[in-house]
Amino acid sequence: MANGWSLLVSILFIAVFCGVSWFASPKGENQTIWRSTLILSAFACWLMWIITFLAQWHPLIVPERDNLRPQYQNGPVKPTRRF
Amino acid sequence: MAKKESLFRSADMTLTQLYVANEIGREVVSALGELGAMQFRDLNPNTTAFQRTFTQEIRRLDNVERQLNYFRTQIEKNGIEMRPIYEFSNTMAAPTATEIDELADRSQSLEQRIQSLNESYETLKKRESELTEWRWVLREAGGFFDRARGQTEEIRQSLESTDDAPLLRDVEQQANGASEGGQQQSFSVMNIGFVAGVIPRERMGAFERILWRTLRGNLYMNQSEIADPIIDPEKNEEVNKNVFVIFAHGKEIIAKIRKISESLGADIYSVDENSELRRDQIHEVNSRLQDLSNVLGNTKRTLDAELTQIGRSLAAWLIVVKKEKSVYQTLNRFSYDPARKTLVAEAWCPTNMLGLVKSTLQDVNERAGLSVPTIVNQIKTTKTPPTYNKTNRFTLGFQTIIDAYGTAKYQEVNPGLPTIVTFPFLFAVMFGDFGHGAIMTMAAAAMIYWEKPLQRGKQDELFGMAFYGRYIMLMMGIYSMYTGIIYCDAFSKELSLFPSMWQWDFPDNYNPDDPTTVKATRVEGYTYPFGLDWRWHDASNDLLFSNSYKMKLSILLGWAHMTYSLCLSYINARFFKTPIDIWGNFIPGMIFFQGIFGYLVFAIIFKWSTDWYAIGENPPSLLNMLIYMFLQPGTISDDVRLYSGQGGVQVVLVLLAVSMVPVMLFLKPFYLRYEHNKARAQGYRGIGETTTVSALEDDDEPRTSGGDGQPNGRASFESDMDGGAVITQALGDSEHEEFEFSEVMIHQVIHTIEFCLNCVSHTASYLRLWALSLAHQQLSKVLWDMTLNNAFGFDGPLGIFMIFCFFAVWFALTIAVLVVMEGTSAMLHSLRLHWVEAMSKHFIGDGVTFEPFSFKIMLEDEMTELK
Repeated sequence: MANGWSLLVSILFIAVFCGVSWFASPKGENQTIWRSTLILSAFACWLMWIITFLAQWHPLIVPERDNLRPQYQNGPVKPTRRF
Repeated sequence: MAKKESLFRSADMTLTQLYVANEIGREVVSALGELGAMQFRDLNPNTTAFQRTFTQEIRRLDNVERQLNYFRTQIEKNGIEMRPIYEFSNTMAAPTATEIDELADRSQSLEQRIQSLNESYETLKKRESELTEWRWVLREAGGFFDRARGQTEEIRQSLESTDDAPLLRDVEQQANGASEGGQQQSFSVMNIGFVAGVIPRERMGAFERILWRTLRGNLYMNQSEIADPIIDPEKNEEVNKNVFVIFAHGKEIIAKIRKISESLGADIYSVDENSELRRDQIHEVNSRLQDLSNVLGNTKRTLDAELTQIGRSLAAWLIVVKKEKSVYQTLNRFSYDPARKTLVAEAWCPTNMLGLVKSTLQDVNERAGLSVPTIVNQIKTTKTPPTYNKTNRFTLGFQTIIDAYGTAKYQEVNPGLPTIVTFPFLFAVMFGDFGHGAIMTMAAAAMIYWEKPLQRGKQDELFGMAFYGRYIMLMMGIYSMYTGIIYCDAFSKELSLFPSMWQWDFPDNYNPDDPTTVKATRVEGYTYPFGLDWRWHDASNDLLFSNSYKMKLSILLGWAHMTYSLCLSYINARFFKTPIDIWGNFIPGMIFFQGIFGYLVFAIIFKWSTDWYAIGENPPSLLNMLIYMFLQPGTISDDVRLYSGQGGVQVVLVLLAVSMVPVMLFLKPFYLRYEHNKARAQGYRGIGETTTVSALEDDDEPRTSGGDGQPNGRASFESDMDGGAVITQALGDSEHEEFEFSEVMIHQVIHTIEFCLNCVSHTASYLRLWALSLAHQQLSKVLWDMTLNNAFGFDGPLGIFMIFCFFAVWFALTIAVLVVMEGTSAMLHSLRLHWVEAMSKHFIGDGVTFEPFSFKIMLEDEMTELK
């Protein structure tokens, strides 16, 4: 699902988003604020995402656990009839 | 874009000059105060407050204000509801002069009335408490007398028994005959006088002691406590008092006792010895009390009615008076031209509001029916205008963050604009938790939703601060939810949004009761698409991974933030048309910063993007790489090898960075000196160097004329004033500074050293993002384990009870510690990152804030207590 191409797609997505924000910002005296806020926050969020993605792209270590039950294979135990 | 009014930089300001006919001066200023767009300069700075034109009016209004405040204290004292200030929004229009006069007269007469009512009320109250005390004395004293009469023998004996108390000896002789009469024996026959009265309880001890010492024990004293506290009408507080009756022998001693008791604050009342008469007295006192309370009730009702009447419009009156006072205070800043009967004013005004100002003034003129128009002139000046960043509800909080550090120079890039995003975002990097972010968002959203009622209510200091920053909180909350998803944390628990990229690889003979270490294997060709993989949660080597990730995240974000801020200095240099700042500061600084830390960022990303195990190499150590880049330039050992040709690239980068230091040091000062000398050689002089100060720069006047121009700077100005208007004050104090090479050089050396050292220390400073986010995450984990997690160990009804209790504890601590306390600390760190790390890269500062004369702002400042 997610591999190297995601990087490119995300960059495209952010570029489009920034372009739309630039042109679709409401006119008037607050236009600068709209533009700056939308584009800057899109960039900041993207930066955060891509850093996290890159950090896990080619991981150097793998998760280890020493208190694991086999039931945990598919993630946290889902609610059962007990509740 | 710069022309548009936005947060990006200060709005364009113009110095305007107003010529206002004397008759409508008040109306004009009042209309401008409603508009709130002009900051009037003081044109009589050398005149003291008492010598100004409108001091009389201000004094009068001060008096009215004092009276109104007197009404307010009376209203508060009597606990009467006051109509809140918000119901008067329609009466905010400027009052006419007659209305003000009426108000003054009215408050004058009202004050007299309230004062006389108050006075009579207080006298009556005093009378009442006196009567009450007297009644108590009569009642208690009766008991004493009855008791004392039974004990006359005893009294006499007790006084007799000591040799050094011979005072009663002759009495004894006199009374001997009568003593057989027993009960009927009167004190007067015994020549024993008495004093009865009331004294505050806490003085009783001292009173007794003093009496005992001065009279050497020649007295007999009875006292009892009054059950109900008595109200002191002057101070309006309750006092506990005692009734006392003192029997003593001889007129002199009685007089002495009276004096002592009066000096100690006791009230003495006359009590008749005879029980019949005493009864009559009590009756009389009771009926007088009855009458008095009737009168008191009436007075109180009248006073309350009067105050309620005043309370209905007091807030509006206060507003009117405060406005009027500020109008005259502003008028005092104008200069008066007696020859033409005009007031001359100078004011800073945002250029795009000039039209509005002009039309407002025209309106005022038409309403007054005056043929002389109010003239508005725009003046060209060399003075730096005040900085005006127009804010709205949303941006106000963010702009306040910047203004708290310093006012931006006129029209430099205002860091308030990017702060709207960067401040809450950097906060969120430290506060990243979906749950805590959601709580913060909801709190902020609630404050925004109930904005109006909350604004009108009384706020304590802490809540007031949170309320002021409600939009900051909203942004912080939203970004925290985002970073919480990225960190995969919600109340310290994981968020399994997508299938994990890891699978547990259980060994064949795995025994759940005796677990061994299980390693995960990666799902081939799949990377967790959004945020951190939740399989890292509760992994034993979780911190190993997340520390490395968050540290690099901090460096990358810090680098991006600082690069962005540095670029703003380029925009500033472009705007102020100082290309030397681009060539001498921005470009070498940028190369220096990118050569070292930009390269580090590149290396981090390069290392992440390479699959080191696939190409069969050991991942390099970036820390060592950066250290050896400087210690052993050119040599690349195996544990720091990223790519081939790395040594050459690093040598070039280091040389580039180092070579930028002398460029930064010398280029700008020497260029400035060269410019200065060139200008000197061509005969230019600084304006400040001439003997006459040409205050107003005139475009028509050639600047080469320098010092030999007019003897008076005003002459040039009058030409465009159409027939010589009066300039009341030269705009004076020239802002041109003399060029001093040493000063520029020292300044540049400091700047260079600071910049280069700060590149290192500021990058390191961004590591606080990692440290705080780690602390926040660990703290919320610990809280979960200590409280709610324990409750899950219980079963049955006890389990339900425990979960309920532990949830309450967990939730309260989550709010108090994790959201409020941790939030405050993360906010302070984010604040520092903006003030120090980011703003040092471009912020010039030294601006003056635009403080327009505006009724709205003035009332907001002054009327907080009227809420």
